[in-house]
Amino acid sequence: MKIRHLVWIRRFTQAFFLGLFAVLLVLAQLPRNVDIDYSQSFSEAQHTGESETPSSPDIRISQPVALFFHMDPLVWLSSVISTRHWMAGFGWAIIILLATFFSGRFFCGFICPFGTLHHMVGAIRPTLGKKQTMQANQTVGSRRIKYFLLITILSAAAVGVNFAGLLDPISFLFRGLGLAALPAGGVGLHDIFDFLAASDVKLLNYIGYIGETVAAPIFGYENKVVQTGWVIGILFLVIMFLNRIRPRFWCRTLCPLGALLGLCSRFTTLRLEKDPDKCSHCGRCVQACQGAASPEPGQTWHTNECLMCFNCTARCPEDALAFHFKLPAARKRKFDVGRRALMSGIVAGVSLPLLGRLDGRSDRNPSSSLIRPPGSLPEPEFLDRCQRCGLCMKVCPTGVIQPALSAAGMTGFWTPALVMTLGYCEYTCTLCTSVCPTGAIAQLSVQEKIKTPVRIGSAYIDRGRCLPWNGNAPCIVCEEHCPTSPKAIYFKNDAITRPGGQPIPVQLPFIDLTRCIGCGICENKCPVRGKPAIRTLSAGESRSLENQILL
Amino acid sequence: MNNEPITRRESLKRIGRISAGITIGNGLLGPLTSILANAEAPKGQPIAGWMVEGLGEKPDYSIKTLTRRVFDTAGGISKFINKGDVVVLKPNISWAQAPDLAVTTNPEVMVAVIELCQEAGAKKVRIADNTINDAGRCFAVTGAAGVAEKTGADLVYPRSSMMKKMNLHGHRLDVWPVFTPFVEADKIINLPVAKVHGLSVLTLGMKNWIGGVGGRRSALHQDIHQSIVDLAQFFKPQLTLIDATRILIANGPSGGSSSDVKIVNRLILSNDPVAADTRAAQLFGKTPEDIGFIRLGNKWGLGSSDLDRLTRRSVSL
Repeated sequence: MKIRHLVWIRRFTQAFFLGLFAVLLVLAQLPRNVDIDYSQSFSEAQHTGESETPSSPDIRISQPVALFFHMDPLVWLSSVISTRHWMAGFGWAIIILLATFFSGRFFCGFICPFGTLHHMVGAIRPTLGKKQTMQANQTVGSRRIKYFLLITILSAAAVGVNFAGLLDPISFLFRGLGLAALPAGGVGLHDIFDFLAASDVKLLNYIGYIGETVAAPIFGYENKVVQTGWVIGILFLVIMFLNRIRPRFWCRTLCPLGALLGLCSRFTTLRLEKDPDKCSHCGRCVQACQGAASPEPGQTWHTNECLMCFNCTARCPEDALAFHFKLPAARKRKFDVGRRALMSGIVAGVSLPLLGRLDGRSDRNPSSSLIRPPGSLPEPEFLDRCQRCGLCMKVCPTGVIQPALSAAGMTGFWTPALVMTLGYCEYTCTLCTSVCPTGAIAQLSVQEKIKTPVRIGSAYIDRGRCLPWNGNAPCIVCEEHCPTSPKAIYFKNDAITRPGGQPIPVQLPFIDLTRCIGCGICENKCPVRGKPAIRTLSAGESRSLENQILL
Repeated sequence: MNNEPITRRESLKRIGRISAGITIGNGLLGPLTSILANAEAPKGQPIAGWMVEGLGEKPDYSIKTLTRRVFDTAGGISKFINKGDVVVLKPNISWAQAPDLAVTTNPEVMVAVIELCQEAGAKKVRIADNTINDAGRCFAVTGAAGVAEKTGADLVYPRSSMMKKMNLHGHRLDVWPVFTPFVEADKIINLPVAKVHGLSVLTLGMKNWIGGVGGRRSALHQDIHQSIVDLAQFFKPQLTLIDATRILIANGPSGGSSSDVKIVNRLILSNDPVAADTRAAQLFGKTPEDIGFIRLGNKWGLGSSDLDRLTRRSVSL
């Protein structure tokens, strides 16, 4: 096979995996057109009134939306180190990791969708001229930053907090697209559709309707709210923009997965063979090199930097470069990590989790505002696993799961936390529990969630703000929406003096903590805006032995 | 701006009806003009109200057949639905709960009504409800998505582009975002389920119209009965068919347990929203005096809570 064909195979492969990532990203939502056979659940109870189990179906996404996380060796390795368990479901990640020992960072060059995006932004109509590109593609010392970050992540995992997802390329990309780009695009589109729908011109109404119907399967019908979404988005844009100054900036300088694969490819058997006699030093290989791996004959090829893009061999007019499977010469060179990167990485990795635990959030002093999704593991185990990838946040139909800002402390930054003013945990929904790539949120069936019951917190009433309690109006909205049977909110009938002085009969709400599951629909639907008169705290959550109220 | 009603042709008809509503509301004409129903009044009746009740007696009766028989007894669907009509159904599919829990409208009833409308030549049948739980989940879990799939009816996803601020001209409610399919419909059929409710005592046909608006709906509860009547006055369906095949007798309106459900095997069809609710309330052992919105609906001339003033028929299977 000609070398030039290899470049085209690479491009097709990259396009395929980027497309697959995009498709799975869009599919990571409540499946549309779920056609559940209602007659089955109904016919049993129709005449007798006796059905053993009121059957709400377990709605699941049938496509493997966590596939790319399960292909990601960094997700796997960091979770194995932090949990001390062989994680289930990571067969592809292990295969890719093992294959890297033989064929280098082919994941970066062929598969990684984030890498493909960088590649495109850097290579299509580049800003840099030839000389500038050659300058930017020199192997420089900043490449070691990624090893520092990798060692930090793995050391932190060993000490008990898995930070991998903050910088893991798959998680970074999923957050950037799923929690920033798509929702922001949705905001813009919905503005257009609202404008068209409000028009008096029938044709515009019609265009808006069609547009909305087409866009809804991707962007949804409603604006999605993402706490700190703008930070996620700007970070993503900046990282993307850096490719214009230094191609594949992320892959060369920051990517901890690239660092891991680089270490594994140190002695790869797929090697670049250089023929200095043929070389005319035209510099085309350096200009095209994605990894800044010094492909030019006369320089030392950096195996751990090479992204296996095969650009250098394809561009070489003299056929001075070729890749061959070959055992590496027994050179006793050290790993190209750098002692400073190694030592400072260990120091940072060990100290960050320990410093993070000083707030006591994961043991003695659970955060009252940190409500985790149903099925979440106890906090220490949760932090062992959570990749902060945003998959649970993307699939949540009510949008209650948000990237935590401060609720989970420093160690839990961007981990999922429920914000009840933005949504609520729907009683018969278990979608988020079915998608978590690392099992930080354990899978639940609707039956398990309801019958156990799985509690995520508990509600309390702020009598100073509650309308019946403060005598401003009758109201029962919290009780109406309370989904448990019997309801966790009950009334005592009483008369309250109105601000004007006259008494009015009211139903005063009370909370039965033995029934409350902390779903937060009461807080979400409470008519008292600003700060709802009924609020949800994490106390009472099933996953904790400590964070309880009742005996 | 907010006070401007929408300017489309369909809405003009609606505006006519709204102003009729104001007149009635002001009590100028009283109950004489109260029933603006499409059905022809049988001769000799004091008002044009009528009601047909279906009862499933046999243990294995078909809910679909019973629904059809109820409409047949009322004179056939083509009496109410014309060829080329856009018909909008308002079931209660507000909670993502399985239909056997009596929290949402029976999908069998929906299917039967949609098929009847289609047979009568309706141009389009749409199912619309601004749900409380996530709409996508409600559609899936209540069976409404299955109904749409099976019958080819449109299931309208509630969204901001379909909420238009309109003046309801109610006693208590003025400008609210209204779910536009109801404004644009030629005919509206209300398909509520009968449930208990913590504040309004029961939720039946008139209260179902809370699902016809958007906005700060949870604030409506501060004057629930007048709000219900204002909404029912505004939407004014051609027909109300109350699904009482099974009713929710406890823990309403969200239910959640089969022990909250009572099997009643009844359907109540009427052109009078107040009368339909009055009859359904009897199934819970309640009289019009017990329920504020029925009293108010009767008072403002939206319909009659005196069932003796209606032509009543029944059919059983």
